Amino acid sequence: MSPEKLLRWYPRAWRERYGEELLALIQDTVDDGRRTRWLRLGVIGGGLRERGHQAGHAAKAAGRRLNGPDRWSLFIAGLVLATLPETLTVSRSQAHGWQAPAVDGVLAAVALTGAVVLANGAMALPALVRFLRAGGWPKVRRQVTRAAVATVAAGGTVAALSAGSGSRSYAQLNTSWTYSVGLLAGGVVVAVAIGLWATAAVATARHLTLAPRVRAVQLVLGAVTRTTVMVMFVALVLWWSASQSSVLLLVLGLVDLGTGSVMVPSRVGLAIRKGRRLRAAASGKPAVNPSAQRTHGRHRA
Amino acid sequence: MASSGLRRPNDPPLLILVSLADGPKHGHALAKDIEGFAGVRLGPGALYGAITRLVERGLIEPLGGDDRRRPYRITPQGSAALAEALADMRRVTRVGVARLGLDPA
Repeated sequence: MSPEKLLRWYPRAWRERYGEELLALIQDTVDDGRRTRWLRLGVIGGGLRERGHQAGHAAKAAGRRLNGPDRWSLFIAGLVLATLPETLTVSRSQAHGWQAPAVDGVLAAVALTGAVVLANGAMALPALVRFLRAGGWPKVRRQVTRAAVATVAAGGTVAALSAGSGSRSYAQLNTSWTYSVGLLAGGVVVAVAIGLWATAAVATARHLTLAPRVRAVQLVLGAVTRTTVMVMFVALVLWWSASQSSVLLLVLGLVDLGTGSVMVPSRVGLAIRKGRRLRAAASGKPAVNPSAQRTHGRHRA
Repeated sequence: MASSGLRRPNDPPLLILVSLADGPKHGHALAKDIEGFAGVRLGPGALYGAITRLVERGLIEPLGGDDRRRPYRITPQGSAALAEALADMRRVTRVGVARLGLDPA
């Protein structure tokens, strides 16, 4: 393998910055009489380390862009999706009493979240097609490839978890440490995959020209997605409390339900107000604040 | 312990900083110098990996010149980090030597 080919192990940006210098050093080292096999392995190892380093940087940057509740939502969604095959097969068939409605609640929340995310994507589809036709793919290729690789890893983890659960009952799975650790790891891997898709979507959205009306609707859909993930979490905790007859989990689920009931209206309301301001700014009219209007009306009366 | 991430005496970043302490050098000169004073042969992959990290952390910087053999020099932050790391090592060495009875502390 020629030194130029060895450089392919390094990320493109690194090659552009340090590639020529590394080639010169390789040449000098070969001239010194160093054995080329070890030299080659060392350079390949260095390239892989650089790629790992770059991936770490990207993951950290994606993490910084997400705020605390978003990270938490991602982890919950990851955990729920990682256990989905087992939920559909083992847990659902063995559910009794009010465990069955709780499982159905989790599944309904998953379906609803998926539908909202798809609706959000569908609204941006025409703009996305225009962007890709105009040759925009190289601008987002890296993020999409990264997310696709993470999705394959997540699929593998979920398949392994599903195979690991085998024909064991929920009670047996519940007492298995290996399964619990695998479950947490699966949740993290799926959450990373979802997070990378979210990052790819945000990166792509920056290049799209969206109508203010579409952006306003997407703001509301974003708030609804966070809400459905919260519903997913509440249903999940209530289901766990039903499966394990745990009062503590029941209380936790009810507390989350209460907190969510307070947070959801304000979150959706905020998104609607932001959307109104966006449309008003686009049309050149001042944004109308309904609460201010109501207050003003009362003063007049 | 040094906050600069320099912990082991055979750490490539530490060796590079020590090598650059007496003046700028390019990759090959660095590798030869390090082999001379530390007996450690750093391959091109390891050397440039460490150079990349040190540049990112602002501890060394490239100088203009021949693109293919670009020299690097230590920055004031690099000198401070190196001094801190060496002080840590000196402290540990002094205690170790005293406890082994090799040298009165």
